[in-house]
Amino acid sequence: MTALRNLALPGIFWLFVLYLFTPLLVMAVMGFRDSNFVAFPIQAWTSDWYREVLFDRDIQESLWLSLRVSMMATVLSLVIGLPTAFLVARTSGLARGAFMVVIMLPAFIPVIVSAISLRIFAGRIGLETGLLAIALGHAVASMPFVVVMVLTRLDTMNRNLVDAARNLGADEFIVLFRVTLPYLGPALLGALIFSLLLSFEDFVRSFFLGGFEQTFPVMLYSRLRFGFDPGLAAVSTIVLLVTTGFGHFAGRFLRSGRGGR
Amino acid sequence: MTDLLIFLRRFALYRALTHLLATSPAFRLVMVALIPVIWIVLANAAPLIQMIAISFYTEYPVPVGEAPVYSLTHYQSLFERPLYLNAFFRSFVFAFAVTAVTLIVVFPVAYYISKVAPRNQRTRMLLLVIAPFWVSEIIRSFAWILMLANRGAVNSFFGWLGLPGVPYELLYNGFSMMVGVVYLGSLYMLLPLYSAIEKIDDNLLEAAANLGASGRHRLTRIILPLARPGIVAGCTLVFLLVVGLYAMPQLLGGPDTTLFPATIAQIFSKAGASWPQGSAFSLMLTLAALAIAGLFIAVAQPRRRLGR
Repeated sequence: MTALRNLALPGIFWLFVLYLFTPLLVMAVMGFRDSNFVAFPIQAWTSDWYREVLFDRDIQESLWLSLRVSMMATVLSLVIGLPTAFLVARTSGLARGAFMVVIMLPAFIPVIVSAISLRIFAGRIGLETGLLAIALGHAVASMPFVVVMVLTRLDTMNRNLVDAARNLGADEFIVLFRVTLPYLGPALLGALIFSLLLSFEDFVRSFFLGGFEQTFPVMLYSRLRFGFDPGLAAVSTIVLLVTTGFGHFAGRFLRSGRGGR
Repeated sequence: MTDLLIFLRRFALYRALTHLLATSPAFRLVMVALIPVIWIVLANAAPLIQMIAISFYTEYPVPVGEAPVYSLTHYQSLFERPLYLNAFFRSFVFAFAVTAVTLIVVFPVAYYISKVAPRNQRTRMLLLVIAPFWVSEIIRSFAWILMLANRGAVNSFFGWLGLPGVPYELLYNGFSMMVGVVYLGSLYMLLPLYSAIEKIDDNLLEAAANLGASGRHRLTRIILPLARPGIVAGCTLVFLLVVGLYAMPQLLGGPDTTLFPATIAQIFSKAGASWPQGSAFSLMLTLAALAIAGLFIAVAQPRRRLGR
């Protein structure tokens, strides 16, 4: 057992780390291959792909669309998630459970089913596929997480803060903007980054709700099926680094935001 | 912001609004509930309800001038063609397999980080393994294509080692699909396992060891039972994730590993798409997945003991 603890477990851990990072490193390295074809071994190296790929029109447009979609989806999910969390916080017991089930529903049904049901619904109400439809689909997906994050923080909030503000003459809106929202700050920032990333990474909803223009993951998907070059590895590496950086930042924020408990 | 709100107080309308909010609980409730309720009804419930309705239509859109005909044809059609039924079962078998493999792979890792590793390095180790969490499904698939292709990194490495028969067929089959999807699911397994194992009191393990319990006994009698909530949560998460997965199996799988989401997508994307059939299939996938997850939670969830 001691041998197991001292050797096998660390061994498994580092093998797992290897499993997690090798493919990503391989991709980053492939971006340096001086050829139009993707293959190993790499004999000639270049940094041109990393420099030029961001000027590729298709890639630029897909990244720009993804960015717009994720900002719209984030605004929507915050604007709707916030009052939803307030509403849930006012309930308790069975009612709260029932509420949470309905709110969490999109997180539990298979992604493909959620995407297709939204696609049919969009067709039914005459919403065209494209930017708005995708953003709405993403807002549906990230709402449950926004509600949970805000609610976690809201449940720890001291009701006396609100009462004190009221007694001192603050009206409902001042209480909201000067007391409640600042208190929720860390949770809101976490939820914001979380839903930005969730939307930026999403493929299935963008695929089914998208029109002629492609978001970045959809563009990547179609190129992976119909031929790609080392430039695609380069841009994927860049996107990976940016999103991972943001994710790390959000994680830190959420952890430090829990200090109030 | 506050200045603006104080400025707004000059207007009777604003004062009436805030007064009403402060004095009438019913009005407050309506104001708070308005947006969420509209959203939940329109965005969460309506699309699903519509999907359920459409699945019973024999034809959709209903031909002009005819009354809609309802039937169970599309539900039955799943059982009539082996092509569909095989994909359906393959999806669930695949999801079980991924869940099991993920649990076996990740459990020692979670145990190591939360209990065995040097205390001051645990947080750093956890951050290290969850770092790839935000890498998208498509980018991860891409990375595995580069690893496993005939002229990919792994075959290139094997060739360098001088193994016979290189290149091996590693990509576009069940193997590559498994490797990639386990990769995707492992972090969903890791977090619940980590937080459950981390909560186990070290004294319990020490006491058991002092009383002569072997390593295997400590694992089966203390660690596994106490980690059960984490195991249940992790398995449920991974299972539900994998059942609905579309892109990665499409990118990494082969012609004979078609999963049910791909079948559904195909029904929707072909010309003259049969929406009722696609809807019926979607609902059967959802129901089966939720039923299995529900059953699993009911059976595996630790029963509350006396005194707790």
